[in-house]
Amino acid sequence: MKPTTFLVLAIALAVIPASRVAAQTKTTIKMGDNLPDRSNTWGAVVEQINAEFKAANPGVEIVTESYPDQPYQQKVKIYATAKQLPDVFKFWSFTSLLKPLVDGGFVEPLNRSEFDKLGYLTGALESNVYGGKLYGIPVSADLWVIYYNKKLFKDAGIDKPPGTIDELIALAPRLKAKGIVPMVTDGKDAWPLCVTFDQLAWRISGDATLPARALARKARFTDPVFVQAAQELVRMIKAGVFQDDLMVSDYGAARNLFGQGRAAMYLMGSWELGLGADKTFSDEFRANVDAFKFPVTAGGKGKIDDLFAWFGGNYVMSAASKTKALDMKYLQFYAKRFPGLAWEKQAALPAQKVDARPGDTQVAKTLLRIIADAKATSGTASLDLSTPRFKDDIENAMRGLASGLISPEEFTKQLDVAADKASRR
Amino acid sequence: MPSRTRGPFENRLVIAGLVLPGVAVLVFAMVVPLGFSVYYSLTDWAGFGDYRNVGVDNYREILTEDPVFWRSLWNVFVLILVTIFVQNPVAFAVAAVLSHISARLSRVLRTVYFIPAALSLVIVAKLWVDIFNPNVGILNKLLVAVGLDSLAVSWLSNPHTALWAVIWIIVWQGFGWALLFYYAGLMTVPRELEEAARIDGASWLQTYTRVIIPYLTPVISTVIVIDVVSSMKQMELIYLSTGGGPGQLTQFLGVYLYQKAFVASEYGYGNALSVLAVVVSVALTVIVQRALRAFPRDDG
Repeated sequence: MKPTTFLVLAIALAVIPASRVAAQTKTTIKMGDNLPDRSNTWGAVVEQINAEFKAANPGVEIVTESYPDQPYQQKVKIYATAKQLPDVFKFWSFTSLLKPLVDGGFVEPLNRSEFDKLGYLTGALESNVYGGKLYGIPVSADLWVIYYNKKLFKDAGIDKPPGTIDELIALAPRLKAKGIVPMVTDGKDAWPLCVTFDQLAWRISGDATLPARALARKARFTDPVFVQAAQELVRMIKAGVFQDDLMVSDYGAARNLFGQGRAAMYLMGSWELGLGADKTFSDEFRANVDAFKFPVTAGGKGKIDDLFAWFGGNYVMSAASKTKALDMKYLQFYAKRFPGLAWEKQAALPAQKVDARPGDTQVAKTLLRIIADAKATSGTASLDLSTPRFKDDIENAMRGLASGLISPEEFTKQLDVAADKASRR
Repeated sequence: MPSRTRGPFENRLVIAGLVLPGVAVLVFAMVVPLGFSVYYSLTDWAGFGDYRNVGVDNYREILTEDPVFWRSLWNVFVLILVTIFVQNPVAFAVAAVLSHISARLSRVLRTVYFIPAALSLVIVAKLWVDIFNPNVGILNKLLVAVGLDSLAVSWLSNPHTALWAVIWIIVWQGFGWALLFYYAGLMTVPRELEEAARIDGASWLQTYTRVIIPYLTPVISTVIVIDVVSSMKQMELIYLSTGGGPGQLTQFLGVYLYQKAFVASEYGYGNALSVLAVVVSVALTVIVQRALRAFPRDDG
């Protein structure tokens, strides 16, 4: 064989397998989220978006790691420590969660102009801005509401949802007499009780800025309004409004008690809009689930249409990702597809504008009406606008308060000490 | 003589070669991580991003301002006492009975007793959380069915019962191991020793307290040391059942340092807790081993 022929053959042999390998090589986007159920509601919507994205981008593979809410947050922190964050991952816009990742340079700033015209609600994108840069795309509009099971209310002879905390407390013995748990929430993780504490402080004072001012040390957590809010929460717990094992019930346990028709009410955010379409629960439950506004307090200055609302959940991009262009393409695709799909499947209340449809579930209609009725809105300051350490401190103090181990006065003192520490850091 | 001068040199190489893998594993798996832990315990690192050296601030705060640390340590001591003075005697007694019944029945019962130890900790935790559930749990349903309504409480969230309920889960899960050790130990006791004691007029109680238990002192010591160490690093069952609640009443060191490091993003503080946990573990192990030396033993 001539040397030239040999050379051509050798090059051909080297190139042909290489090109075949290239054709077979897939680019993988590693993703993470808090939606372990991939066949229902929100998780199913994400799966559909992923499938459409892969179909539109041959050669792209998406590998997703999913865990329930709180374990997922811990996992992200561990991955950040190990410098192994997923390329694109769901997170939360809060100062206590996203800001440490921004400060550490773990998340990539996004080009805001790519998202400005995608119908985001006022304030949604702004929630994800740190230092003038956009770090995440918001996914849901979050309202603090109480879901209820109309059939269980009817079984207990209750004809309408409570409008005041006193009315809510009065329902507890009537429901219990029928063997029904009055209301459930995730007490083990404590954050829903912290959100409720902020909500009660607003209902009592009529001033939504108080927690943020207390964090900025322009007010004290020991001020009477916070003590009263803590007292009101303790009054609800002592009156048996919540499940007996509140402090060891996690998110899934509380949700299941409500979905399985054992509990009449579920204190949670609007991201549970999918309850009305979740096929893991019975037809009867889905037909009867609805929501109502968080009640007002007797003598409080807050109004029923002062709406606790924020844009928590988001999607962010790892600064260490090796597929940034593709990640950005995915985020744009997600931002365009999510609102329509999520609303069509009644899986979530998107952070983008959606129109009511005749086929919407009752709970979806109610949540839209609650938004339309809102005269003022505010977010979850105590829990989300401080440092991770303050978040942990308030959750631990709340566990003590809700377990009856510390008094409302001691609880607010602990918050004040924690806020002092947080302000010094 | 050449052979005598070269021998030790060769031996040293051989010894070094044989010891090196073990030493390397020890250094990289224990000494280096512990070194990192000590280093980060002197910082305010959140687990990511910048950090600064804060000296011994974390240790000072833990020891002087952190009641949860002391509560966690107290709970560890309570667990150690319960395992030593309740779980171990019961396991020993059951093992003694099993060593005197028919081999077939003994085998079946040993298997049954060991099942909890073979189960996944997640399954054990979920099983007992469901059993203790005040709304749908079988325990309260049974209590109500037999008219003991007043005893039907929220076992895991009631401040008066939570710690004992959690300790029950841990003891239930670990019982099989203690039983296994004691049964294996009892099987090594020479029959003639027992028979000699009987011939000398010893009652069964005297046979056990004067002959068998002293003979098994090394086994008992081993089980107690294992109990102390496993109590110190108890984490999964607490995390999966109460998460340390209600309040921080069922908090244990293992869960607390994890929560500080990865929930509160206080990695430096969490590392200081882990260093203290190692110090306390080593101190406790030494104290227990020294205390056990005072016990009468039969060294053959």
